[in-house]
Amino acid sequence: MAASSASPSQAGMFLRILFKSLKVRRNRVAITFCSVAIGASIITALACVYFDISAKMSRELRTYGANFFIGPKAASGERSMGSQTGQAALQVIPPDKLIGASPYLYGLVRLDLGNAVLAGVDFPGLRRLSPYWQVEGEWISVSFDEDSCMVGKHLAKTMELKVGDSVNVMHAENGFQKRLTVKGIAETGQAEDDQIFVNLALAGKVLGVPGEVNHIMASVVSQGTDIDTLAAQLEREFPNLDAKPIRKVSYSDGKILDRIKGLMAIVAVIILSVTTLCVMTTLIAVVSERTREIGLMKAIGADDRGVVLQFLCEIMIIGVAGVTAGLGLGFLLAQVLGQAVFGSAITFRAVVLPVALIPSLLAALAAAALPVRMALGIVPARVLKDE
Amino acid sequence: MQKIVLETVGLTKRFGNVTPLDGIDMQVREGEWVAIMGPSGSGKTTMLNILSCLDTLSEGKYILDGIDTSQVSEKERVVVRREKIGLVFQQFHLVPYLTALENVMLAQYYHGMIDRDDAIEVLNRVGLSHRYDHLPSQLSGGEQQRVCIARALINQPAIILADEPTGNLDESNEQIILDFFKELHAEGRTIVLVTHNPELAEFADRTVRLHHGKVVQHAA
Ligand SMILES: Nc1ncnc2c1ncn2[C@@H]1O[C@H](COP(=O)(O)OP(=O)(O)OP(=O)(O)O)[C@@H](O)[C@H]1O
Ligand SMILES: [Mg+2]
Repeated sequence: MAASSASPSQAGMFLRILFKSLKVRRNRVAITFCSVAIGASIITALACVYFDISAKMSRELRTYGANFFIGPKAASGERSMGSQTGQAALQVIPPDKLIGASPYLYGLVRLDLGNAVLAGVDFPGLRRLSPYWQVEGEWISVSFDEDSCMVGKHLAKTMELKVGDSVNVMHAENGFQKRLTVKGIAETGQAEDDQIFVNLALAGKVLGVPGEVNHIMASVVSQGTDIDTLAAQLEREFPNLDAKPIRKVSYSDGKILDRIKGLMAIVAVIILSVTTLCVMTTLIAVVSERTREIGLMKAIGADDRGVVLQFLCEIMIIGVAGVTAGLGLGFLLAQVLGQAVFGSAITFRAVVLPVALIPSLLAALAAAALPVRMALGIVPARVLKDE
Repeated sequence: MQKIVLETVGLTKRFGNVTPLDGIDMQVREGEWVAIMGPSGSGKTTMLNILSCLDTLSEGKYILDGIDTSQVSEKERVVVRREKIGLVFQQFHLVPYLTALENVMLAQYYHGMIDRDDAIEVLNRVGLSHRYDHLPSQLSGGEQQRVCIARALINQPAIILADEPTGNLDESNEQIILDFFKELHAEGRTIVLVTHNPELAEFADRTVRLHHGKVVQHAA
């Protein structure tokens, strides 16, 4: 640059001092850059997850069972409804909010060794509704399989059934019977452990009520009270049906979510404080190192404004670079978190930008406050005479 | 008679119970070359720091070119120093990551007017014509001190305050710098030079001797 004979402008000289000063301290600059980048990336990742979590968490918690019930109006005294009506009612739930749903038709049947409750279901829907079932053998994968059944673990034990065995299912009153292969044995820890499951169509034939269902259970993604709105809408469109959220689960969803969000906010604040302290320590070391240089600059005519400007610009350059890198890293980190915790990608939301940027940059400035004061307090007469 | 550019009246400086300067009365006229001498610890550096507005006084008055420095704010003192005074320190204080040329231009930068050709010309004057792009660490002590002097001169200050500018130099470097001060004196600059070296003091118009913070002799 000395090869060019033009005089640098004031701004050019300012930048030259700035970059040479950063270059000569590249180790400290690197440490500060990394601290800011790591801090900002964690804040960004948490913010990404935070704003995406309601949907994701709710979906995740929904895998722990049904939270929505559709059945014939209780007041009408009906015990079942038409399967077509049930399917039509399900259409009211927006497809992107419906995790899974299955109709249920119950009845008492005779097996080889005793009586049991037969449940007719839609297996693909049931599987999405209850992914937590522990199944030995296999799930029945299609809804038209009329030769297989699944048996609850407790029932399998009393009936001495194993995967691959065949079992005779018979209705005591109408005498309909059919031999079925046990495809899977399910453990749920609940009433299902004592039931035998077949496809709805087959159950209709066995029980002599084809095309009927007792009720439908669904798993619906919900936030706040939108599930109540959904129930009301469904009942308006189908006056003969009852639709209601299964309250307890939805409520605790929200509570867990709030706690997790609170936890994330606390973690974010802690990370930010630690980063701020780390950056501050480095900057204090930098000011101590540069005491003489700053004293000299003051002695040859730098005023307070000049000293602060140079120092803050150095910090802001590192800060902006660090935060920018942190934003990118943070979004990647959010994807890793999303895959690990929710098994899905995290959507980037614009609100993350200010939420991550502003506190990160403020933290960098806060970290600079004390070092800048130290720099201003330097008395040239004192520091320049030290041997 | 030339006008008085530096005047102290009962100038006293205390650091706790140490009083390195105790009631100094001194006047320096425009274009005068004054040497300040005295044993180590007699208060020479303290005196020069106050004359250059790097430090404030505890008692008395210091009037610089008609301005009572104890009456003005710190900000204005910075401006006064920048506009009127060229400073040469006892140690060679240079910004370590800037080249010789950039160190000189730094003074221009704070002064608000950068002229590369001027900076090169002053470096040539102190005999560093081929050392512009060297960092201080690549220069000898004598060369570093000459950069400091170039920096002190770059803004054409009326007053040059130097604290043992040759204290750490060998004879040949001392001679270069002495010649340089002679030139500056001939140009009509006001010079206050702190030195231990009687030979250097000989070229001054007059010598002020300090002892335990008091003036013991004004010699012609
Ligand atoms: N900041 C300070 N705090 C306390 N005492 C100080 C301070 N600065 C200087 N002194 C004292 O003031 C006295 C004069 O110091 P000064 O540096 O002015 O001496 P000097 O004449 O320049 O000596 P030398 O020839 O060794 O450079 C010394 O006794 C020193 O200990
Ligand atoms: Mg001294």
